[in-house]
Amino acid sequence: MELEFKDIKKSFGEKLVLDGVSFSAASGRAFGLLGRNGAGKTTSIRILMNVFPADGGMILLDGKQIDYKSVSFGYLPEERGLYPKKKISDQLVYFAQLHGMCRTDAVRAVDYWLGRLGMTEYKTKRLDTLSKGNQQKIQLITALAHDPDIVILDEPFSGLDPVNARLLKDVVLEVIERGKLVLFSSHQMNYIEEFCDSIAILHGGRVVLAGELREIKHSYPRNRLTVRSRDAERIRADLRLSGDIAVDTDESGALTVTLPSPELKGSVMARLTETYDIDGIYVTEPSLGDIFVEYAS
Amino acid sequence: MKRFRTILGFELRGYFANKVFIGVTVALAVIIAAVLFFPRVAGFVTDLFGSEDETPDDGTVDPGDLPVMLISAPDEIKDTFLGAFSSAFADYNVTPTDADAKKIESAISDGNAECAFVLASPTSFTYYSATEPLFDDNPYMAEELMRSLYITGTMVGAGISPEDAAQVLSVPIEQNTVTVGASGGDYFSNLIYTYIMVYALYIVILLYGQMVASSVATEKSSRAMELLVTSADPVSMMFGKVFAACIAGLSQIAAIFGTALVCFAINEDQWGNNMIVRSIFDMPLSLLLYMLLFFLLGFLVFAFMFGAIGSTVSKLEELNTVSTPVVMLFVVGLIVVVIAMSTGDIDSPLMRVCSYIPFTSPMAMFTRIAMSTVPSWEIAVSVAILAVSVFVIGYISAKIYRMGVLLYGTPPKPSAIIKALRNQ
Repeated sequence: MELEFKDIKKSFGEKLVLDGVSFSAASGRAFGLLGRNGAGKTTSIRILMNVFPADGGMILLDGKQIDYKSVSFGYLPEERGLYPKKKISDQLVYFAQLHGMCRTDAVRAVDYWLGRLGMTEYKTKRLDTLSKGNQQKIQLITALAHDPDIVILDEPFSGLDPVNARLLKDVVLEVIERGKLVLFSSHQMNYIEEFCDSIAILHGGRVVLAGELREIKHSYPRNRLTVRSRDAERIRADLRLSGDIAVDTDESGALTVTLPSPELKGSVMARLTETYDIDGIYVTEPSLGDIFVEYAS
Repeated sequence: MKRFRTILGFELRGYFANKVFIGVTVALAVIIAAVLFFPRVAGFVTDLFGSEDETPDDGTVDPGDLPVMLISAPDEIKDTFLGAFSSAFADYNVTPTDADAKKIESAISDGNAECAFVLASPTSFTYYSATEPLFDDNPYMAEELMRSLYITGTMVGAGISPEDAAQVLSVPIEQNTVTVGASGGDYFSNLIYTYIMVYALYIVILLYGQMVASSVATEKSSRAMELLVTSADPVSMMFGKVFAACIAGLSQIAAIFGTALVCFAINEDQWGNNMIVRSIFDMPLSLLLYMLLFFLLGFLVFAFMFGAIGSTVSKLEELNTVSTPVVMLFVVGLIVVVIAMSTGDIDSPLMRVCSYIPFTSPMAMFTRIAMSTVPSWEIAVSVAILAVSVFVIGYISAKIYRMGVLLYGTPPKPSAIIKALRNQ
């Protein structure tokens, strides 16, 4: 299944929110939709889920205009919220039914997911008696219980402790492996880097960068090296003698070496390995955070 | 349709699992049952414990226990008027006095007497009392009594015997009243059950309408709406909520009125000739059906409006302020109807106009049907306007709802809502 946003436009009154947004995502993979606050991520998601129509452009699924009767969505909104005073199982079954499941299947699916996320003991409790992390797990069930074709997770890891974050990671990987199309929206770049094969960065209502994350990173000049060595100070002094090589130290204490041209990296790596006691030396790619800051600021 | 049913079921379960809803319904049913069973229980208690403290069987009351009414009159008429006043004011200990006005006033202010009549002549008196004149009918009774005595005296003076004069003055007039109207019955009994029905309509429509508004506002403030708008279409959500509230309201009315009917049927013999209670339960079936019809249509009109209002607020606290105009609209309708009922001018021009305005017609037209004669075509037109309004207001409300649920911050002004609707 391939989802394609094609030149989507949307305005609210005088304000142009989306100005010809285009990107594509495929099932069995995770797609990262990135952007600063107000960049148009939530508007894109709402148009995708048919909450309101676009002013222009098309959303295609496998090359055809999307048919909302034949595709189902699971959504974990950034603004979490369910019914605080209602029983957890009641509202989970309700949302699964709203997504088209019959009551029996909904009850079965909810029981499965409560068990999968270790929440069975809270089944008959009211939502407001749960901790924030556990409420978030309950919210995740509303996105997954009806086995949707497209799963949209908006800031899924915010507010989770490391144990719950690990549990959620496992669940997301499971969903991706089951061939679902997973769309991530997050400011936590490490999670996007971990899960997403392709990304689109929105800025000012336009896509300023889109494509395979690996290719995007490879497209950057490969002229930066990371060097770990007990002879770091000697290496720094040595390289500085070359004049046009810049040397810095990163947060972990490793040296980051910026060469004037990528062609030099082989000879520099060979010389350093032969001359000094090197623990590790490799070509450094830009992080997603670096790329995001470059394009979204 | 499936989503509508799911939402309807979920909302209904919410009402029927709500302890306040159940508590209020049960409490009202118990209170009504207690009132209707009271004569039976009171009779049972009396039989059980006897009647030691009651008035003696011969009905006499010690005059010392009665409030004192002082009578001052010239000597030539004193005996006649003392006897007449004693008979007419049997609830008083009528006592003659020769005291002057000052002493009479101090006797009343000291509490030694409750009131006093100072007769200057057979056709003139001064009344002294500590009671507000508005709530005291003693002067009117005295006026009637003295007029009657004067006429009798004059007739006797003209040669008619006192017995004949008395007979002439108290000749019985046979009276029959036929009220020509759709509901039949007399005005007084119609008035009682119409009041009850109109207030029931008012309370239930306003109460459940506001429940719809707070339900929508709660979903929005708890951000459950973020998920709901992506799970169901606004029309299903709006109609599911409104119909659930409508069914819950009807169930509550059925439970309360049903309890009343059953309890009255059991205790009908105990209420004997109590006209007020009997008149309530003698309500014609056609009126009940009209009430049901106007409740349904009126409720839908207001519930859709309340639903739309609920969708425009971000916090529950803002709801009261924003819903005030709609509440006022409904209150105006109630005031018009209550004034018409209290003045008896049921078919006034204002009531006629209100019978066709969808916001006031549920109460106004129902009242006219209950207490007057309304041509069938007028009822049909009123119901038709109301029914069309349900669809139009439902459609507009769903549009506002669709727009409002995604708006956060200050509630939009009506002009902004209209502008946004036009853009849609």
